[in-house]
Amino acid sequence: MLEPSLLMAGLDPSALPQQLLNGLMFGAIYALVALGYTMVYGVLRLINFAHGEVFMIGAYTALFVSWQSGYFQGAQGLQRANNPGILILMLLASMIVCAVLGVLIERFAYRPMRKQPRIASLITAIGVSMLLQYGGALVLPVSPPRSILEEVNPYDGNHSISIKPKDAALQTAFTDAQARQKTADAALAAQIKLEGVSSEFDLSEEGKKVNSAALDARDATRGAKNNLDNSGMSLNVPYGQGIMFLTTLGLMGLLTYLVMFTKTGREMRAVAHDFDSAALMGMDVNRIVTITFVIGSSLAGAGAMMCATFLGTQLTSFVGVPWGVKAFVAAVLGGIGNIPGAVLGGLLIGVAETVVVWAGGSQYKDAIAFVILIFVLLVKPGGLLGSAKVEKV
Amino acid sequence: MKNKIGVFLTLALAGSLLIGCNSSSSSTNTTPSDTDKPTTTTTAGGKRPAPTAAGPKIEGPTVKIGLVASLNGELKPWGDDSKNGAELAIEELNKSGGIDGKQYELITEDSNSKPEQGKTAADRLIGKGVVGIVGEVASGITAQIADSAFAAGVPVVAVGATKTTLTDIGSNVFRVCYTDDFQGPVMARFAYEELRLKRIAVMTDNKQPYSQGLSESFKAKFKALGGEIIAEEFYNSGDQQFNAQLTNVKGKNPDALFLSGYFTEVGLIARQARDVGLSVKLLGGDGWDSEELVSGGGEGIVGGYFCNHYNNQEDRPEVKSFLEKWKAKFAGKLPGTTMGALGYDSVMLMADAIKRAETKDAKGIIAALDNTENFPSVSGAITLKGKGGNPPKRALVVEVTKTGQVFRKAYEYFE
Repeated sequence: MLEPSLLMAGLDPSALPQQLLNGLMFGAIYALVALGYTMVYGVLRLINFAHGEVFMIGAYTALFVSWQSGYFQGAQGLQRANNPGILILMLLASMIVCAVLGVLIERFAYRPMRKQPRIASLITAIGVSMLLQYGGALVLPVSPPRSILEEVNPYDGNHSISIKPKDAALQTAFTDAQARQKTADAALAAQIKLEGVSSEFDLSEEGKKVNSAALDARDATRGAKNNLDNSGMSLNVPYGQGIMFLTTLGLMGLLTYLVMFTKTGREMRAVAHDFDSAALMGMDVNRIVTITFVIGSSLAGAGAMMCATFLGTQLTSFVGVPWGVKAFVAAVLGGIGNIPGAVLGGLLIGVAETVVVWAGGSQYKDAIAFVILIFVLLVKPGGLLGSAKVEKV
Repeated sequence: MKNKIGVFLTLALAGSLLIGCNSSSSSTNTTPSDTDKPTTTTTAGGKRPAPTAAGPKIEGPTVKIGLVASLNGELKPWGDDSKNGAELAIEELNKSGGIDGKQYELITEDSNSKPEQGKTAADRLIGKGVVGIVGEVASGITAQIADSAFAAGVPVVAVGATKTTLTDIGSNVFRVCYTDDFQGPVMARFAYEELRLKRIAVMTDNKQPYSQGLSESFKAKFKALGGEIIAEEFYNSGDQQFNAQLTNVKGKNPDALFLSGYFTEVGLIARQARDVGLSVKLLGGDGWDSEELVSGGGEGIVGGYFCNHYNNQEDRPEVKSFLEKWKAKFAGKLPGTTMGALGYDSVMLMADAIKRAETKDAKGIIAALDNTENFPSVSGAITLKGKGGNPPKRALVVEVTKTGQVFRKAYEYFE
């Protein structure tokens, strides 16, 4: 087994805050998807294995909308629209399509099975999942040539939050080095043009000297930049992921309001508490189940749209599988059926994954979620926030 | 008490899980020390067991050649190209009269970009009586095909599988591409000698034997040249978030980042590297080769260099006539990846061996393949005689630009 001292060697404490932030931002998406699992389980005691595929359809919806509206016929032919409004349109479209898909799956696959033993619903769920995966493979485009990201996301780049300012003297040194590099690069470009060759690798002996000077200048710039970067400390948030995180928080806030402070929310909680009694009390349980699927699926759709747009995920009909698995683990970890639990589980897995990578174990990144799950279930079989109820058979 | 035992058991279980991950990854791929060994390209025979099964005979109304390609899944761009290339070759062969009055027949099976389905596809082809199998592009899938084919005694010509130890599976396994023992050093030399990079970080796809092998050969050569490998991070194909690894890499201030994986993840990594503020040169192997690389990687990948088998812009007669034929068949479009040419070359090589075979059965074809000398292929001359299935071939370094790949520097074969 690993020695603790070995494990600690080569750790960079200054990178930890950044890594924790990365973990939180990514965990939020896990949480968003996990909410769908946990809400459906809470109401129906059914693990909706097709949830990952709902995610996949959401990502494709975003793609198609971006193809439809991300461009306009301009003076130079097809131009990108570069308009944040399109992002909102894509988000809404993904959410709506996923909501409809979720309701259809529930209506035609799960509802007929509701009176059957639970294992039947479970198998149906797996069947729906496979139907969408392999059916999708037949009709959906794979690794679409035009990436959504490049075309419609105007939020390229990142935002730096400074914790410790950078050294001013090093900043000057870097600017100087940059200026020298610019001169050297210009000389190289002129030499390439002079000799009429296609690149710096075909230059004559004379030209190689110019190239060498340019390489030296590049080296110096790199060194100066490293010194400058290391002198300060800052947290780095890519715009896209910042938007993802804030949107996710907003959606979770909305969900909390919906579940805790509205009549429908109260009904949902009642149905989750006791399905049969709620029905006996005159509640329309089918309506509540439908609403649950609408909410859970549209959250997955939102997550999918944001991943496809801001992370640049290459889409295949199997893109939902890893997300589904991780989110499912997050839901179980937090206590399946428990809404705050799903959020906690998602964030925890996101943070655990980045911390493992930070500690030098990037090959164990995928395993860590399951290791944590095993430990938590041993100590608390119901999950972190769940309650272990003994099922009477 | 009961709880304590439970915790202990889980610890053991978790431990075995971690160890399990490790050993399974090394058993499916061969251990790193295996790839550190001198190249197998020179040590022919001996190491490669000969299949004991008699194998199929060339009989029936057509000569059947099987093709396994990823027609679905994330490697689809390569699968489509290798299929198009193979079909082009078959069409050409049949137009010029086929063989001994018979026509060639290409039977294609889909591997769905997955090793296990590649095995099923190979088994299905063997069941249909093919005399030879062409494919695959990915080393992990090809290894499965080669296993099945070895048991049945059927010859295999791999299209683009570069993992060095692949041909050790059996003397029925050949390829038309160079190995990672060559392209790794090519990129190491290019980085060290041409770009004068000294400190490089490596990112390896732990799910892909190809990526692991390429990282090993690159690291070994780069260190031998005097460079420094300052970090190696891992990920798994299908991952979508690399911020954590990239933040680690950024903390080490490398001169460049070597990405030995496939384009599907490389594009994402390039994009996210820029997002975390890591703006260094990116380098890689032939796994980058696809039109999707630029759409996936955006600005982040532009200016990166990778090693490839051939290039559409090359000024050789074989390339020019191949592109003429390709454009005629596929509505004026050029092949998007090198797998078009390699798929074509593989089928041509297989057909050539069938023609040269002294006995008209699998054993004869295998012997003929093993005797290939200076076969003129689109991607460069192929010699397999005494090379243990691995042809010593040239490699090109190409630069990624917004409009596609631009040929930069060719390396003839070196030891």
